[in-house]
Amino acid sequence: MKKLDRYGYLFIAPFWVVFLTFSIYPVFLTLYYSFTNYTGSPGEEIVGFANYTRLLTDTYFIEAFFNTIKIWGVNFALQMGMALLLALLFSDLRLKLKGLNFFRSFFYLPNLITISSVALLFGILLDWQHGSLNMVLMKIGLISNPIDWLAEPVTAQLSVSLILTWMWFGHSFIIVMAGVSGISTDYFEAAHIDGANRWQMFTKVTLPLLKPILLYIMITSLIGGLQLFDLPMLITDGIGSPDGSLNTMVLYLYNQAFKYNNYGYASAVAYGLFLITLIFSAIVFKGMFRNERATQKKGA
Amino acid sequence: MRKLVSLLTIGALSVGVLSACSDGGSEGSSSEGSKDDVLKIWSFTDELKEPIKTFEERNGVKVELTIVPTADYATKLKPALESGVGAPDVFTGEIAFLKQWIDAGYWENLSEEPYNAEEVSGDIVPYVFDLGKDKDGNVRALSWQTTPGGIYYKRSIAKEALGTDDPAEVGEMMSSMDGLFEVGEKLKDKGYKLFPDEGSIRWFAQGDDPQAWVNEENELVLTEGKQNYFDYAKELRENNLTALAPEWSPSWFEGMDKPIKVKEGGKETETEVFSYVLPTWGLHAVLKENAKDTAGDWAVTSGPSPYFWGGTWVGIYKDSKHKEEAYDFIKLMTQDEEFLTEWAKETGDVLAFNPVTEKIKTDFSDEFLGGQNNYEFFLGEAESIKPGIVTKYDQQLDTLYGAAVNSYVEGKKSKDDAIKEFKKQVKNAYPDIVVD
Repeated sequence: MKKLDRYGYLFIAPFWVVFLTFSIYPVFLTLYYSFTNYTGSPGEEIVGFANYTRLLTDTYFIEAFFNTIKIWGVNFALQMGMALLLALLFSDLRLKLKGLNFFRSFFYLPNLITISSVALLFGILLDWQHGSLNMVLMKIGLISNPIDWLAEPVTAQLSVSLILTWMWFGHSFIIVMAGVSGISTDYFEAAHIDGANRWQMFTKVTLPLLKPILLYIMITSLIGGLQLFDLPMLITDGIGSPDGSLNTMVLYLYNQAFKYNNYGYASAVAYGLFLITLIFSAIVFKGMFRNERATQKKGA
Repeated sequence: MRKLVSLLTIGALSVGVLSACSDGGSEGSSSEGSKDDVLKIWSFTDELKEPIKTFEERNGVKVELTIVPTADYATKLKPALESGVGAPDVFTGEIAFLKQWIDAGYWENLSEEPYNAEEVSGDIVPYVFDLGKDKDGNVRALSWQTTPGGIYYKRSIAKEALGTDDPAEVGEMMSSMDGLFEVGEKLKDKGYKLFPDEGSIRWFAQGDDPQAWVNEENELVLTEGKQNYFDYAKELRENNLTALAPEWSPSWFEGMDKPIKVKEGGKETETEVFSYVLPTWGLHAVLKENAKDTAGDWAVTSGPSPYFWGGTWVGIYKDSKHKEEAYDFIKLMTQDEEFLTEWAKETGDVLAFNPVTEKIKTDFSDEFLGGQNNYEFFLGEAESIKPGIVTKYDQQLDTLYGAAVNSYVEGKKSKDDAIKEFKKQVKNAYPDIVVD
């Protein structure tokens, strides 16, 4: 018996070695650096909580936080809206839409393109004077002058949100669709017999039963969204132009660490980001959970 | 079935054991181990392939070249240099990282014995040689090239709008900022644009006496000359002298070869860009690659003030075990007459080593530039460049400053606000720089 136990440890050892070296060790090393003025070369000094006090008053970080939330929020609302709408259409018993498999892969395709290609592609499409988007909009007469999409803070943020939506709605759609197909058709049939219309069926049957799936999408998307980095980095000059509107938290972290060599401060930014993610996840989780209990009580 | 599996397993295992033995044998026989005899070189382009081939043939030393793409180069190199694990013996550094790495002490002091790099000081273009020195004046890195800049323009447009396509005459017209704007107006009258964008003017805006971004007291230096960039850029935009095609954007490249569309005052017009402000490498790496139809219609001349842009230096890692071979390679790269002559003729790279350039500069002529001798032109420009204005902060500060100027040109911020914001950003990025 004892011998068998030891074999077990041997088998999980490779995972633990990798996990400890590449995940746990860096996490604690970052924590250590966040209390120092490390600049990338040895000889750092412990500075106590100086990096953290700076973080709390750093207008750029606060700005980055709100930018991230704005860009993610718009993207998430649109993405979920589209995913739910599509799921609704494809699961409708009366419509009986065909080609679900085709559309599932079709909608997912944008997600497979490397983000740098996406940035390049949209950089060309959104180009002020020569971009296709402006050309099309001017041809059909929606605008009379070209819009410099990536030069105005609002349109730049909106552009990034929309690109992210385009990239991710297929992903959400697949998951929502999986959730919808998991719901027994008995409920829909029963609701149908009871005379419920589509909207009632959606809000009273589909949505409540989808709650765990929606919670999952929300949390994963939130965690991913708070780490938004690559697209804002690549689509303008890499420092968050125009006017710092594309300066997201991770972009800020990256620039502090790898461009300005303030590794110590960047580590504190990383921990700030970690705390924010933790708090947000807790809020989302709690909110969803409490609602569930409240409805249960009401029902009882 | 079971037997077969076990047989295969045993077979596989024994092959493993045997090969392990033979590995050990060969390593043992070559005394030091073959891996240690390799000269390891790191760079961010494949430029060094040719010189390495020559070096291997001549010196009988095996070289292992590692090419890391520019975007990852510094991030990958730094840990290796800090720890010494897997570090190269020789590595190149672009101007953007040069000062940072010199200050960090990664490169061997070449002013000392046995290198005595000072001996060649008279043979290398002064600003290039100076940039490779650390604070105490010791040479840490050398370069084979010089990268002064000029203004590349289209001859046909010059003839039509300025009455001449002669580089000397066009250069004379553009030898001052006022002259530059006058030329811009003349071009506008004929429907052309002086520059693709406002950023084109950044090298000239400072005038003849450019200052370093940070002085010896580590204070940010924002001279009037530097601030002029705001006004000149705004003037270019307001007078419609540019084609609104930002550097490296698709339309910027497009403008090299054909007319591009510009929307001005609600009217769409087609216009052609007259000139591009680029250095030596801009000819081979940018213009020749993108301007196919207009090849031969180009020429290069000087702007209001001399400038340089880019450049690559090479040095020996301080803890290298093959310093002798490493320096041999650097000597080949920077001071070998035979090799450099060949290299220059093949690539057209403008060299920094005078003994070679003196001999070859007169017989250059570039088809793309309508037969102009760009080599002689650039060497002349290189002579007038003032060394000592490069700091390790330049790349990042230039980016931040460019963004500040842009927000003023676009009319989003007043000049004062843009400068204030710039200072705030500098303070945030580099807490050790003193900002008033």
